[in-house]
Amino acid sequence: MHDGSTPQRHDRRIPPPVRPPDTALRLLVQNVLDYGIFMLDTRGYVVTWNAGAERIKGYRADEIVGRHFSTFYPAEDVAAGKPDWELEVAVAEGRLEDEGWRIRKDGSRFWANVVITALFDETGELRGFGKVTRDLTERRMAEERLRESEERFRLLVQNVLDYGIFMLDTRGYVASWNAGAERIKGYRADEIVGRHFSTFYPAEDVAAGKPDWELEVAVAEGRLEDEGWRIRKDGSRFWANVVITALFDETGELRGFGKVTRDLTERRMAEQALSEGRRLLSHLVEVQEMERRRIAWDVHDDSIQSMVAVGMRLQLLASQLPEEHATALRQLDESIRDTIGRLRNLVFRLRPPVIDEHGLIAALSSYMAEALPASRLSHSLRDELHEEPRPETAVTIFRICQEALVNVLKHARASAVEVSVRTVDNGTLVRVVDNGVGVDGPVTRQPGGDHFGVLEMRERAEIAGGWWAMTGEPGRGTTVEFWLPNLPILPLPERP
Amino acid sequence: MTTPPRSRVLIADDDAMIRSALRAVLDAEPDLEVIAVARDAGEAVVLAEQHTPAVAVLDVRMPGGGGTRAAREIRLRSPNTRLLAFSAHSEMGALDQMRRVGVTECLVKGVSNAEIVATVRRLAQAAPGQ
Repeated sequence: MHDGSTPQRHDRRIPPPVRPPDTALRLLVQNVLDYGIFMLDTRGYVVTWNAGAERIKGYRADEIVGRHFSTFYPAEDVAAGKPDWELEVAVAEGRLEDEGWRIRKDGSRFWANVVITALFDETGELRGFGKVTRDLTERRMAEERLRESEERFRLLVQNVLDYGIFMLDTRGYVASWNAGAERIKGYRADEIVGRHFSTFYPAEDVAAGKPDWELEVAVAEGRLEDEGWRIRKDGSRFWANVVITALFDETGELRGFGKVTRDLTERRMAEQALSEGRRLLSHLVEVQEMERRRIAWDVHDDSIQSMVAVGMRLQLLASQLPEEHATALRQLDESIRDTIGRLRNLVFRLRPPVIDEHGLIAALSSYMAEALPASRLSHSLRDELHEEPRPETAVTIFRICQEALVNVLKHARASAVEVSVRTVDNGTLVRVVDNGVGVDGPVTRQPGGDHFGVLEMRERAEIAGGWWAMTGEPGRGTTVEFWLPNLPILPLPERP
Repeated sequence: MTTPPRSRVLIADDDAMIRSALRAVLDAEPDLEVIAVARDAGEAVVLAEQHTPAVAVLDVRMPGGGGTRAAREIRLRSPNTRLLAFSAHSEMGALDQMRRVGVTECLVKGVSNAEIVATVRRLAQAAPGQ
């Protein structure tokens, strides 16, 4: 019955694998330090032991061989029958892998990766178990630390109240929510997670495609910052600062977006109140200038003309009357001329008429020619204006220059002064530089009263929305520098 | 003995007191005669065309386009008329403009009568046909 077939089968048998000499293998296993490699008998008693096992578990071979491997398990696992169960599974499935706490000889715990392999002989009979144990405590601790830090971070984000911090998926659907987002936008997490973030935008922005556009920009540029109106759950608007950050994984694939939202409504209102105040002040300054201008032109067109005519009449009379009367008339004419001179000065101080007709540079130029005595103070005017400032701004610039030049004349003991006017940053930058005795350092406060008209110059500049500074060094002159934006003064809102 | 013909002068100023004072000052001179007085630029042009004065004394700032417009048009309609700008102190800038349209002399209001008379006379003598 077996004839013919058995020899054939015997011939085809795969030859037994070439085994390394037992001694070499034993040496290898015995000396591996990173793995505890040992054998259990069929009932789970330790049969062999290696250096790695000793290092990891703390037992010498003579202390542990012959003891049951449940020694390595925490009491609760032993009570639950885990060691025996693991052997059963290994028998049933060939091997078992587990990660969990194990106990060292000194009673301390370590986090172990354990592989138990059931060992069968050729007849299929169970001969025992191979057990390979690794100590993963460090890896486990690192993971634990990471998890804890992520947890702390999550808690932080979750509980921040001042910022709405949440995630969007790649298509813009809300994926997470925090307390700040709830406070700012009014939605609870369960009401908003899963909804598209365009929910937060005003209808006009949604219609214009702004939400999608913002995600596109964030993807293209990494992040996007925006300020604008957003909508709360109750439909009310708030003024938001929004930063959207595109989140990519290591492979460069987009994983979603982080969104941080701040409610700036209060700040915006405060800013508006401030600019309202400034606008009111500008308006007052403007009204004051208009009034000065009106008075200046009245004096110029009416009073001065009349006095000029009176002077002409007096001269004419003087030429027609006998000498004894003529002298008196000529004296009268002299005093009329003096008065005309004083009135012209007044007009100039009130509102240099030339500024309205010929602009800032002409006004500065004629003021400097008139007010600065060329004999003891040489002066120059550098014009680098690309655009003429608006009339209100031009008047403010003129007034500050006037004040600064009067200072130079009165206090600086300078022999030269230069005024330069430049168009810079959508505004006008002016410098009045002298070579006189010099103020000491930057002048910020009044050295006892408005000695240099500092307060007035600064206030004029700030009311016009600009800045003003005065710097100097003893013996090296003084520089007054200021910049005014070329902004239109917004009309005052109608008051009911 | 015949008196030489008086030079004919036009005055244009929107201020009534200036007009009459200027007229009195010029008329007091034996060789000058104010033949027309205008209150604005438009009137000055019409009167200049009508009277072709030797000299027109023009206020710089006056209604109807100011001295600049008056000067430009008088140059066209009465080319022989010499032009004198009589300006307020603050109108120096405008004087440049007036020079460009043919004004050859400028006086600032407040100068002495003698200076006014001398300037008008000088212009009158330079005018063709005088």
